[in-house]
Amino acid sequence: MISEQDIRDQLKRITYPGSSRDIITLGLVGEILTKDGTVIVHLRPSSATEEVLRHLTGRITSALSAVPGVQQVTIHSGRPHGAAAQPSPMVAAPALTPLPGVRRVIAVASGKGGVGKSTVAVNLALALKALGNRVGLLDADIYGPSVPLMMGTEATPRAGQDKKIYPVEKYGIRLISMGFFLDDKSPVIWRGPIVMGIVRQFLRDVLWGELDYLVVDLPPGTGDAALTLTQEVPLSGGVIVSTPQDVALLDVQRGIAMFRQVNVPILGVIENMSYYVCPHCGEREEIFGHGGVQKTGLEVLGEVPIVEEIRTGGDVGKPLVVQHPEHPVAQVFRQIATRVMETDVATLRQPQRQRG
Amino acid sequence: MPNPILVTPIEEEKLLRILWDDDQLGDYPFAYLRGWCPCAVCQGHGGERRFIEVDNPQLVSIGMVGNYALNPRWSDGHETGIYTFEYLRDLSDRRESQSENRAKG
Repeated sequence: MISEQDIRDQLKRITYPGSSRDIITLGLVGEILTKDGTVIVHLRPSSATEEVLRHLTGRITSALSAVPGVQQVTIHSGRPHGAAAQPSPMVAAPALTPLPGVRRVIAVASGKGGVGKSTVAVNLALALKALGNRVGLLDADIYGPSVPLMMGTEATPRAGQDKKIYPVEKYGIRLISMGFFLDDKSPVIWRGPIVMGIVRQFLRDVLWGELDYLVVDLPPGTGDAALTLTQEVPLSGGVIVSTPQDVALLDVQRGIAMFRQVNVPILGVIENMSYYVCPHCGEREEIFGHGGVQKTGLEVLGEVPIVEEIRTGGDVGKPLVVQHPEHPVAQVFRQIATRVMETDVATLRQPQRQRG
Repeated sequence: MPNPILVTPIEEEKLLRILWDDDQLGDYPFAYLRGWCPCAVCQGHGGERRFIEVDNPQLVSIGMVGNYALNPRWSDGHETGIYTFEYLRDLSDRRESQSENRAKG
């Protein structure tokens, strides 16, 4: 006779990946049925990923097969028998990314407007692409979309099946922007809920395909679009763009506080308009001062100087990183992209994969 | 901020069990969790946090909100509560200290 207690004792030795706790203590094991040589173990619905469940199923099977008298082990990771009429609580998996195919989502934010956030987002995306990544760029600045102009495309996204949209492709990057759906002159006068709906659609209904990075150009400040994004997807990290002067830094603190509140790791800050090198005498002028962003205590991912090629690149739709890849500032963007790749927070955030 | 590794509703015991990445384990009886719902519908604006008495609430489903919170749906139809991880930790700490006090007293 196999006793249920023997089975439970065996299962108590199986720890959950990434933890010292066993699966009985965690409440993961529900009903256990034994009949003749057959053992049926029900696992409760939980946030465990398919991957973890497969791992546990293997361990449970081999642990119970070693119990004398056990001939067959069956594991159900759905709802228990007899309770089929009652719906079991469904739990979303915390570790799962809800955007299938997208490995990391990086938000580019700024506390205030006019610091060159979109310019940085565009060049960062292209630099990530230049380093061999598959990259998407989502322009979440619904009210003032500037990505189409900067990337030099006015294409209309193609419709796919089931009301899905294909992103526009330019310079090897997949793009979506409110700008693709508007006339040049019509202002966007929308309330929060509509903005939230659009951001949700850009995330869910765009056929992004397989991406290593989805770079999101957030609108300035800490409003509806930013909030929706942080609630809809587990962001891998946030990057904050600022100019060096202290008044801009006040707003940076707000951006930092926003990311902290929603538990998004901040990869660092990019100082834009950092300095100006005089084309005549070669002297470096720090127009907006220096050392401001260091005061935030965040890692400075890079300092982007004021150069004419960045401005013209944006205006004619040929960003610096693709137009002048040999330019020292293009090099700065590739360095920033390298730092972003190095801080692969996504793996740090999933201890069960590291230790299990 | 600690992050949850595993979230398991245990219907027979009417509680939600959360394993955190610092190995802490927290039990949240459904009535306790529903009662301390942080949403504005339950709490209004300003003032002290109130406990909402709900008779035998059942957890219908629970999902993640971005990187930072859980959002339960209850049998009374209520689903506007966004419980940040921080708030959940605070709730389990308070519950533990309450039961300690009871044990002492």
